[in-house]
Amino acid sequence: MNGILYLAWRYLAYNRWKTTILVGSIMLIIYLPVGLNVVVEQSGQHLNARAQATPLLVGAKGSPLELSLNSLYFSLDTPELTSYAEATAIIETGLAEAIPMYVRFKSRAQPIVATSFEYFGFRGLALASGRMPALLGECVLGAASAEALGVGVGDSVVSSPETAFDLAGVYPLKMEVVGVFEPNFTSDDNAVFVDIKTAWIIEGLGHGHQDLADPAATSAVLNRTDDNIVANASIVQFNEITEDNIDSFHFHGNLDSYPLTGVIAVPKDEKSGVILMGRYLDSDANKQIVRPRDVVEELLDTILTIQQFIVAAVFIVAVATVATASLVFLLSLRLRRREIDTIGKIGGGRWHVASMLLAEIVIVLVLGSALAAGLTALTWRYGSAVIESVVMS
Amino acid sequence: MPGTATVALFAILAACAREPSQSEATTSTDEANGSLKVITVNYPLAYFAERILGDHGSVSFPAPADVDPAYWSPPPDVISEYQQADLILLNGAGYAAWVANATLPRSRLVDTTSAVSDQLIPISSSVTHTHGPTGDHSHGGTAFTTWLDLNIAVAQARAVLEAFVRARPQYEADFRGAFAALEAELREVHSGLEKISEQLVNQPVLFSHPVYQYFERRYNLRGFAVHWEPDEVPEEALWRQLQSVLQQHPAKIMIWEAEPLEENRRRLLELGVESVVFAPGGNRPAEGGLLDLMREGIASLRSQ
Repeated sequence: MNGILYLAWRYLAYNRWKTTILVGSIMLIIYLPVGLNVVVEQSGQHLNARAQATPLLVGAKGSPLELSLNSLYFSLDTPELTSYAEATAIIETGLAEAIPMYVRFKSRAQPIVATSFEYFGFRGLALASGRMPALLGECVLGAASAEALGVGVGDSVVSSPETAFDLAGVYPLKMEVVGVFEPNFTSDDNAVFVDIKTAWIIEGLGHGHQDLADPAATSAVLNRTDDNIVANASIVQFNEITEDNIDSFHFHGNLDSYPLTGVIAVPKDEKSGVILMGRYLDSDANKQIVRPRDVVEELLDTILTIQQFIVAAVFIVAVATVATASLVFLLSLRLRRREIDTIGKIGGGRWHVASMLLAEIVIVLVLGSALAAGLTALTWRYGSAVIESVVMS
Repeated sequence: MPGTATVALFAILAACAREPSQSEATTSTDEANGSLKVITVNYPLAYFAERILGDHGSVSFPAPADVDPAYWSPPPDVISEYQQADLILLNGAGYAAWVANATLPRSRLVDTTSAVSDQLIPISSSVTHTHGPTGDHSHGGTAFTTWLDLNIAVAQARAVLEAFVRARPQYEADFRGAFAALEAELREVHSGLEKISEQLVNQPVLFSHPVYQYFERRYNLRGFAVHWEPDEVPEEALWRQLQSVLQQHPAKIMIWEAEPLEENRRRLLELGVESVVFAPGGNRPAEGGLLDLMREGIASLRSQ
């Protein structure tokens, strides 16, 4: 028996390219549907977990998917904007706690997630070092974000302009890192968290500048009357919020009109949630309320449909591959006629020849399956991270 | 929509990983049953909170004794204390401007003057300025020593009460009982001030600082506020300015925030002006409570 296995192995080793192609083909036809299933199932579970942990989302009327992806996964495809008044309105109903979200800007590749203090408790984020943000211009980083940006407590990060050609836009804001969260293996790990007002300063809706009554600001004053001072564009605006200039930062107009990408509503109980949803469904206003788990389930249904198409295609490819592999074996029998005759002349019977050929097929199948199993295990462990790095790059 | 679907697909695959279990509400059952941790931005609110809360929690007012809490900016470690509290009592009316620049849990903020916002006094002397496309704006504000109108003080105490009842409904009876006692004392002080008002009717008075707007309005005083510090002797120019004010506004008393320097008292007497202390009580007094301070103020005014 050992001799048969030895001969089969030596044949496969001698014809290494043919063997490699056969093993690779077998591996792929096994791995593709199984690995895809693993990724989809794993992602589905994780996606559902985050969606189910987010009871309700309120935003401007538009795509519920964009609203959910932006508020839950910090996708930088900005949904239609709502206003801070929406968060106030939800609080005033007394039915739910409102957590405002403004996810629009980034620092290099990391999303800047502007929210309120309640978000950290809601997501169960714990500090690995430093402290929570206390003042305008301070930020706390997710674990992966700190690593990607190469910064820690005491360092600074800078907001990135929305477009490279925004010549008339606001200056990037330099923000002090005051804390880093422990990893919680969600989108939160990739975020740069700031207070909602800090995001409005990044956008230019709030700002700090020289005191116009100060003699040093004379060159920036276009016109001065007893009750009004008009400044020109040369007025020095601060691009970093410090202890010395924080009091000069201010916002124009009513903060309730300021933009948000969404509001996470955390109802006091199930009944309150239903009542809150009813109020939005009855309303004709330009706003929507969504249950993220419904949106995600719909999304997963779409993904499952796509998966089924892919699996069907892989099945057809698998049939073709098996047919080709069979053909290769059958053709190789003709090419190996002399080799088989030689085995017969030295005493090998038909049973020996058949066993040797079967052993070759089994070895190829076992190697292909083992590699597919190994790849599936790697996919289980690192699949999400690899895809994430591809998407981020 | 196809673009969104692509993003969705990638976002799902990219952004998902293990999701920890999360609570649906930030206040746990344990917290709801425990004692209430309250923090305030000034002493009057701390006083109201202490009186109403009783043994059902703790009240903290972290401003140092030597600062004016209205203008004090707490360092980040103190802001962290505010973040950890169950309720943060704000005075409203622009008091403690640092609150606007701090990251505080909005669901735990209690603006104690929101119910009486129509009674707040705007300060209208600010200069507006314009830069960029956003139009004119000013950094003016609102008079903030609201509790010196005892009716507003009662409204603020009631706002504190309602916040406590919402946070710990199981102690409602205790809270309401304590509030009733506090309200009675506030009304008694109010009556005392109304009597002073009758005593000072049509009599001009001076205020050493522009912090008595609500006091002046509620008790019908004819006041004029200068900007003097009790522990500093004003420059000669300010004395001359005062003399010219006295020609238009012949006040016989000046109401100070704290005991003035002896020299100030003497020079004012030479101008025919008595010095009287009526401390607003923004910060915790060395002895006694807010109502003791007010009763002392009433006694000083009555002696004139």
